[in-house]
Amino acid sequence: MPTLPAGVYKEAEIASAVAEVEKLLAPHVVRIRYEITTDWNDDWAVYFRVVLSDKASKKNRLREVVANIEAQLAERLDYDALGLYHYHHYRSKSEQAELRGKAWP
Amino acid sequence: MAFADDLLADAFHLASRGGKKPKQSSLRRAVSTAYYALFHLLIDDFVAHWELEHQRARLGRMFEHRKMREATFKPVNKNSPTSIESDLSKVIEAFLRLQDDRYAADYDVAKVWSRSDVLTTLALAEQAFKSWRSIRKEKIAQDHLLSMFGARRG
Repeated sequence: MPTLPAGVYKEAEIASAVAEVEKLLAPHVVRIRYEITTDWNDDWAVYFRVVLSDKASKKNRLREVVANIEAQLAERLDYDALGLYHYHHYRSKSEQAELRGKAWP
Repeated sequence: MAFADDLLADAFHLASRGGKKPKQSSLRRAVSTAYYALFHLLIDDFVAHWELEHQRARLGRMFEHRKMREATFKPVNKNSPTSIESDLSKVIEAFLRLQDDRYAADYDVAKVWSRSDVLTTLALAEQAFKSWRSIRKEKIAQDHLLSMFGARRG
C-alpha cells in the first residue's frame, strides 16, 4: 500500500466541496458520493459517484451536465495538492433505481 | 478511416446496443474499446515517425500501459497554461481515466455499468481525440509521446 496522500487527511475539504457542488447543481445532480481508495495501479484516488436526474442524463444534455460537474469539483479541489487521481462515474436516477445495491465501477 | 477511429466508432456502436436493457457485456466492451481507441491513436502517431515502415508494428508493441500512465507533464505556468498545454493535459487526463475504466470493465465483474456512465466515458475519449488532433504536431505533444514510450525527460 503506498504512502497516504494529503487527501486522506483532508477529507473534510472534499466533503465540503462535494456538498457545495451537489447544492449548486441540483436538481440535475441528485447526489454525489465519493470514496478515497487506490486505483488499478495502486495509486491513491478519489472516485466520485454521481446520480443525475433523468432529464440531465438525456443523451443531448449528458456531456454538458457532466462537464459542468467535473469543472465545479475541479475548481474547489486541487487534486495535485491532495495527491489524488480523480475518477467520475454516473448513473441516472432510473438506472440507479434499477441497479440499486449493485457496485459502481 | 484510421484504426483508432474505427475502434472509437465500434465503442459507440456497442454502447448503443440492447435498447433500454443493454447487456453488461456490450457496455464493458464499449468502455474497453474506447480506451484502446485512444491507446492506438497515440501509438500510431508515434510509430508513424519511424522511417522503417516494416518495423512500426514491433515498435508499437513496445508501449506499456503502466509506462504510458507514468509519463508526467506539467505546464510551464500551472495557473496560466497555453492552449496547447491545456489540450495536452486533457488528453493525459482522459488517458488515465479511460485506463482505470478499462481495468474495471475488463477485470472487475462485480461492478455494474450504466449506459450513462459508459456514454460519459466515450465522450471523454472522443474529446481526447479532438484535443490530440489539434496539437499532435506540436513539440510538447510529440515529446510527451516519447515519455509515454518510456524515455526519460532530458
